[in-house]
Amino acid sequence: MAGTKIKPSAKSQGKDIRGFFAGGGGGSKSAGSSMSTQRSNGSLKPSGSTKPDVIEIMSDEDHVESGSKHFHPKATPRSTQPKSERVMDEDDTPSPAPTLKRKKTLIVSSDEEDEEAEKASPPKKKAAVAASSSKAASSSTSASKPTPKAKEPAPRRTSTPAKKRKQDDDFIASSSEEEVHDDYQDNEDEDLPKKGKAKSKAAPQKAPSKKAVPAKKGASAKAPAEKATGTKGKAAAKEETVDADEDKPKPKFNWAAAKAAKAAGPMAPGSKPLPTPAAPDCLAGLSFVFTGELTSLSRDEAVELAKRNGGRITGQPSSKTSYVVVGSDAGPSKLAAIKKNNLKTLDEDGFLNLIATRVPDMSSLDDKTKKKLEKDREAIRTAAAEMEKREKKAAKASAASGSTSKTAAENKLWTDRYAPQTLKEVCGNKGQVEKLQRWLHDWSSSLKSGFKKPGKDGMNVFRAVLITGSPGIGKTTSAHLCAKLEGFTPIELNASDARSKKLVENSTNIANTSLDGWMGGGQTTNAAGVTITEKSCLIMDEVDGMSAGDRGGVGALAALIRKAKIPIICIANDRGAPKLKPLATVAYNLTFRKPEVASVRSRILSIAFKEKMKIPANVIDQLIEGAQSDIRQVLNMLSTWRLQADTMDFDEGKALVKMNEKYAIMTPFNIIQKMLGPYMFSSTSRETLNDKMELYFHDHSFVPLFIQENYLKTQPARVKNLDGPEKALKQLELLDKAAASISDGDLVDSLIHGPEQHWSLMPLHAVCSTVRPASFLYGMGVAYGGPNAMSFPQWLGQNSKQNKLTRQLTEVQARMRLHVSGDKAEIRQSYIPAMFPYIVKPLVDEGASAVDEVIERMDDYFISREDWDTIVELGVDQNKDDFVLKKISTATKTSFTRKYNARDHPIPFHKAADMGKAPRQLAAAGPIPDLEEALDVDEVEDAADEVEDASDDDVSKDKLIKAPKKAAAKSATAKGTTKGTAKGTAKGKAKAKK
Amino acid sequence: MSLWVDKHRPRVLDDLHYHAGLSARLRALAASGDFPHMLFYGPSGAGKKTRIACTLRELFGKGVEKLKIDQRVFLTPSKRKLDVNIVQSNFHIEITPSEAGNYDRVVIQELLKEIAQTQQVDLSAKQRFKVVIINEADSLTRDAQAALRRTMEKYMSNMRIILCANSTSRLIAPIKSRCLLVRVAAPDETKTIEVLRYVGKKEGFDVPDKIAHEIAEDSNGNLRKAILVLEALKMQSTDLDKPLTIAKPDWETYCHKVADMIVQEQSPQRVMDVRAKLYELLSHCIPPTVVLKTIADRVVDQVDESLKADIMHWAAIYETRMRVGNKKIFHLEAWVVKVMSLYKHFFYDIDMSGFDD
Repeated sequence: MAGTKIKPSAKSQGKDIRGFFAGGGGGSKSAGSSMSTQRSNGSLKPSGSTKPDVIEIMSDEDHVESGSKHFHPKATPRSTQPKSERVMDEDDTPSPAPTLKRKKTLIVSSDEEDEEAEKASPPKKKAAVAASSSKAASSSTSASKPTPKAKEPAPRRTSTPAKKRKQDDDFIASSSEEEVHDDYQDNEDEDLPKKGKAKSKAAPQKAPSKKAVPAKKGASAKAPAEKATGTKGKAAAKEETVDADEDKPKPKFNWAAAKAAKAAGPMAPGSKPLPTPAAPDCLAGLSFVFTGELTSLSRDEAVELAKRNGGRITGQPSSKTSYVVVGSDAGPSKLAAIKKNNLKTLDEDGFLNLIATRVPDMSSLDDKTKKKLEKDREAIRTAAAEMEKREKKAAKASAASGSTSKTAAENKLWTDRYAPQTLKEVCGNKGQVEKLQRWLHDWSSSLKSGFKKPGKDGMNVFRAVLITGSPGIGKTTSAHLCAKLEGFTPIELNASDARSKKLVENSTNIANTSLDGWMGGGQTTNAAGVTITEKSCLIMDEVDGMSAGDRGGVGALAALIRKAKIPIICIANDRGAPKLKPLATVAYNLTFRKPEVASVRSRILSIAFKEKMKIPANVIDQLIEGAQSDIRQVLNMLSTWRLQADTMDFDEGKALVKMNEKYAIMTPFNIIQKMLGPYMFSSTSRETLNDKMELYFHDHSFVPLFIQENYLKTQPARVKNLDGPEKALKQLELLDKAAASISDGDLVDSLIHGPEQHWSLMPLHAVCSTVRPASFLYGMGVAYGGPNAMSFPQWLGQNSKQNKLTRQLTEVQARMRLHVSGDKAEIRQSYIPAMFPYIVKPLVDEGASAVDEVIERMDDYFISREDWDTIVELGVDQNKDDFVLKKISTATKTSFTRKYNARDHPIPFHKAADMGKAPRQLAAAGPIPDLEEALDVDEVEDAADEVEDASDDDVSKDKLIKAPKKAAAKSATAKGTTKGTAKGTAKGKAKAKK
Repeated sequence: MSLWVDKHRPRVLDDLHYHAGLSARLRALAASGDFPHMLFYGPSGAGKKTRIACTLRELFGKGVEKLKIDQRVFLTPSKRKLDVNIVQSNFHIEITPSEAGNYDRVVIQELLKEIAQTQQVDLSAKQRFKVVIINEADSLTRDAQAALRRTMEKYMSNMRIILCANSTSRLIAPIKSRCLLVRVAAPDETKTIEVLRYVGKKEGFDVPDKIAHEIAEDSNGNLRKAILVLEALKMQSTDLDKPLTIAKPDWETYCHKVADMIVQEQSPQRVMDVRAKLYELLSHCIPPTVVLKTIADRVVDQVDESLKADIMHWAAIYETRMRVGNKKIFHLEAWVVKVMSLYKHFFYDIDMSGFDD
C-alpha cells in the first residue's frame, strides 16, 4: 500500500522532529497538528528510519502550513510538513494507545484552529474527531491493531477508510484538518445519536499536558493506557516511553498546561483523553462518589462525565456506592468510609477506562430491576394517557357549554395544563399536602368546637395555615387543590391585589376577587358575585410581598385570622422574614420542601411523553436539578423547548439550564470557601476570570473583608510540594503578594467610595481585593471548623469600636480644652499616659483613701466620671481596661462613684443636648439617599422639627433648669467652685439661660 | 493643680523661650493693624497653639483668655446629629472641623458665615475683626478646603483665619497662597533643656543635667512630652538623684511588643497575632501613622544593616497608601508581611552562605 510506503518516511521525519522539538521546544501547536497527521501515519508503520536532515526542512514547511490553515497535503510532500514529522514520533506510540493519538490530534486541531483553541471545549471536540480519524486511518492502514477502545472507531473507519486511505496514500502528510473533517463526518454518521457528547468525551482536552508534565508522568499515564489496549506489544510500550521522554522538553505545548504543571506539580488538566463510552449510558446503575482532586479532570467535569453516561453521583460514600473515585488529597472521612464499607475504589485512569469499556448489559440486570424499569415506563404511559383523557373530557365539556374554543387546553400554559388534578399528582411534600387537606376537612368541626381540639396533627387549633417554601414547588397549586377537593371555593388574594390594612379588613366583605364559583355553577351567587359563605377559603398568596403600599397589611391579616370564620391559607417564600412575624403565632406553619428530583422526574417524563418529546431521564434530572426542583420552571423550559425541537440531549439540556439559571446569592462564607478553597484556582479549574469576579459581586462589600480576614488561614496549594525553609519563604512571598494586592484593593476602594465615586472601578476592585489574593493563597485549610476556622471580619467590630472610642476621646478633649492645647491625638498619646498616675493609679494603689485626691485632679481638667471611664478604656498593654479595673477593688469603685456624684463639679460647657438646643439642619453634603423609606422619615421629622422650633424658647425643655431653687443653687456652686475662665463661662451661661 | 505643662505655659510672646525671631515678627504683625490670614505648621509639641494664643493676646489683650466652650448640634442630611465643640472668646473662635467628619465643609461654611456676617460690636475692642482658628487643618477634606478659598477673601474685613496644622502637604495650594506661612519648628535639645530647667525652677527644684539630657533626647523635640515626662519622673522620685528610667507611654511599649513579635517569628499565624495587636492599637485611638512609625523604628533597631533601608522604604510606601486608603489595617498588615518576608529571606540567605563556607 501506498500508505505503508509513506510510513517509513513519515517516521523518520517524526524522529527528526522530536529532536527538533527537544532542541528548540518549537511551537507546540504546530507540533500538535503534525502529531495528528503523524498518528495516522505512525500507526501505519511501526518502525521507521529517521532522516534528520529531512526533518528540519519539514519543520519549516510545517510552520508555513500551519499558518495557512489549509494546505493541500497532497500538493505538499510529506517532508514539507514538520508536523507530520512530529506525528510520526507519536505514531510509534500512539497506534496502540488511542488516547495518545487523540491527544495529539487534539493539539493539532487547536493549532490549526486558533480561535477554537481559545475556547476550551471546541478544540476538544475536534480533537476527538481528529483522534478518531487518526485511529481510523491507522486501523485501515495497519489493520493489525485493534484495541479494545478501537472497537468503536473501527466501524466508523470502515465507512471512511477508502477516503482516508486515499489521502494517506497520496500524501501521508495530508493535512490533519482534512482528515479531521472526514472523521467528523464519519462520526456524525455512524456515532450514537449523541454526536456532540461522544465527540466531546472523546476529545482529550489538552494534549500538551503530557509533554509539559515531567517525563515520568507521561510515561506512567501512557503505560496504563497501553495495558488497557492490551494489543500492543512491549515494543510499543518502549516506543511510548521514548516518546514521552522526547516530548518532555517541549514545555510550551499549551500555556494552561505549563502553568498547571508549574503551579501544582503533577496536575495535568486534560492530559488524558476522554474515552468514548462503550455504550450509551454505560454507567447506568452505578453510583459514584468523588473525593480529592483528579489530575486531568476538574471535579465538575468528572461529575458531569459520570452523569452524562448515566451514573449516579452521591456526596458521601455508603455501602451502596459502587465506586469511589479517589484523587489526590482525598478527604479523610471519605477514605474512612471506604475502608468501613469495603468499597471499590478507582483512580482517574480506572474511571476513564470504566467508561470506555463498560457495557451495561440489560440482560444481566436482575429481573427485579428490569421489571421496575418496565413498570416505570408503563406508569409514564398511563399517566400520559390519563392526561390525554382528561383534556379531551375538558374539551368536550367546554364544547358542550358552547362558550370557549376547542383548543382551550392547547392554549393554556403547560403549568396550568398539567397542574395536578388529584393529590396523587402533586410532586413531593405529600405529607404536608395531606395535612393541609385534613385540616380543611376538619375545619367546620373545629370551628364548632371553638378551635379547642388540636386534632391529630395539632393543627385544628389554628384558623389559618402559613405555607412557606421556595418558588415553583406547588404551594399555591396544593392550596387550591386541597380547597377544591374539600369543597371550598378558594378566594385568592395575591401580590397583584392591594392589600393594605384597610383593604384586608374589608376584603372579607367584598367579593371582587374570584368569580369562579359564580361563573361555574351559580349556586352561591348573588348580584355582587361570590359571597363569603362558610364554604369559602381565603388564600392569601405571596404574603411576604406585602410591602410598600400594603402598610399594616400583615398585622391586619393576623388580626383577621384571629376572628376568621373561614379557613385562611397564607403562602410565602421565606419563613424567617421579619415581616411574617405577626403570622407566626396565629397560623400553623407548614413548610414545603423542594421535592426530590426522583419525585419530579416521573411526572415530567409523563408530560414529555404526552407532548411526544424524547428526552432521556438523565437530561430531565439535569433540568430539575438545574432549576433547583422548581417544577414550574422546568415546565416552562420544556414548553419553550418544544417549540423548536422534540428531543433534547445532555448538552442541550445543560445549555438550557444554564440559560435559565437562577441567580442565587451565596453567603460570604460560602464564597470564601469557594474562593480560597483548593479548586477555584487549581489547574483543573475551568472558571474564567469573570466567573471568579462574579463571586465578588455576590456581595461586594463583604467579600473583600472576608478575604482579608481569612487569607492567612490557608495552606497554599502553591507551596504544598515544598518543604522546610523553602516552603516558609515561598509562603511568605505569597502572603506578601496577597497583602500587597489587598492594599491595592483598598486604594481602589477609596476611589470608589471617595468624593468622585468611580463605581466603574469595581471590577478592578474585585480583582485586587479578592481574586488576586485568592489566586496566590488558595488551598486547603479554610473551613468551618478547626483551629483555622473561617471567621467573620473583625474589621467591622474593630472599626465601630474605634469610632466609639474616638467619639469619647473627642469629648474628653473638648472638656480638657480649656487647659490643654493639644489635639485629640496628643491627648491620647501624651496626656492620658501622663495623667494615668494621677487619676487611676492612686485608686489601684491606695484604694478608697485616694478618691478625694483623684476627684480633685479630675476637676482641674473638667474630667467627668464618664470621661474617667473613657480614659481607662483607652489604655492598652499594661494599662488595658480589664486589667486595670480588675485591680481596683469594688469598694473603691463604689466609693469613687458615690463621692463623685455627691459633689458638684466644674463644667466647661453644657452639652447641647442637655440644653434642648435644636439641631441645625445641614444642607446636603453628599448624595441624598433616594430610598422611599428615607423620604417617609423626612416628612415625619420635619414636622417634629417645626414643633421643636416653636418650643425652642421654652425654658422647661432645658434640663439644667429644673426648678428655680435648684438652678439658683447650681449657679451659686458654679461660682464657688470653678476658677478662672471656667467660672466666667458657667456664670454667663446660667445668666443667659435665665 | 494642673499639670506643669499647662501650668507654666507662656501666655505672652515675651515669655516664649525659643524662636525669638518668630516672636518678634508676630508681635510686629499684631501691631501693624494689617494682620494676614496665617498658617502655623510644625510637629506637635513645638508650641504652635501656644504661639497662636500669645499672638491673639497681643492682638486683643487679656480678653481672649476668657474662653468658653460651646457645643453646636448639626443635623446631617442622613438625620445623624453631629456635635461640634467650639471654643470661643469675645474676639475669636476656635473650631476643630475634623469632629464633623465628612460634613466638615458644610459645618465650616455654616460657622464661618455666621461669624463673618456679624461685626465686632465691642467698641473697645482693639481690632475690628474676629479671628477664626481652625485646628487640624491638614485633616480638612479637599471639599472643605476648596470652600475656604472664597470665604477667606470675601470676609476679609470681618475675619481672619489662622490655620493650625502639622504639615502643609495635605493643604491645597490656593489655601497656602492666601496665608502667611509660619513654621514652628520643634525646639532643639538645648532649648528643650532650657525650658525644662525653667519649669524646674518654677516648681522649686533643679533639674540634673543628666536627667535633662535624657528627657530632651527621649522627647525628640516634643516639648509637651518632655515636660510631662519630667513631671512623671519627679513623681517617681522627689529629688531626681537616683538613676531613673523614663517610662514609655502604654501605646509605645505595646508597639514595641509588636515589633519584637515581627522579628521573632515570621509565619501566617504570627501575622494574625500581629493583626490582633494592631487592631487593638488602632481601636484605642492611636493614629495608624504613629503606629507604623513606632513599629518601624523599633524593627529597624533590631535588624541587620542591609535590611534597614528596605524596611523603611516599604514603611514609607505603605504610609502613603494608608493616607490615601480607607482601611488602615490593610496597609499596616501588608507592611508587616512585607517586613516578615524580607527578614526571612535575609535570614535564610545568611544561612545559605554559612553552609557554603
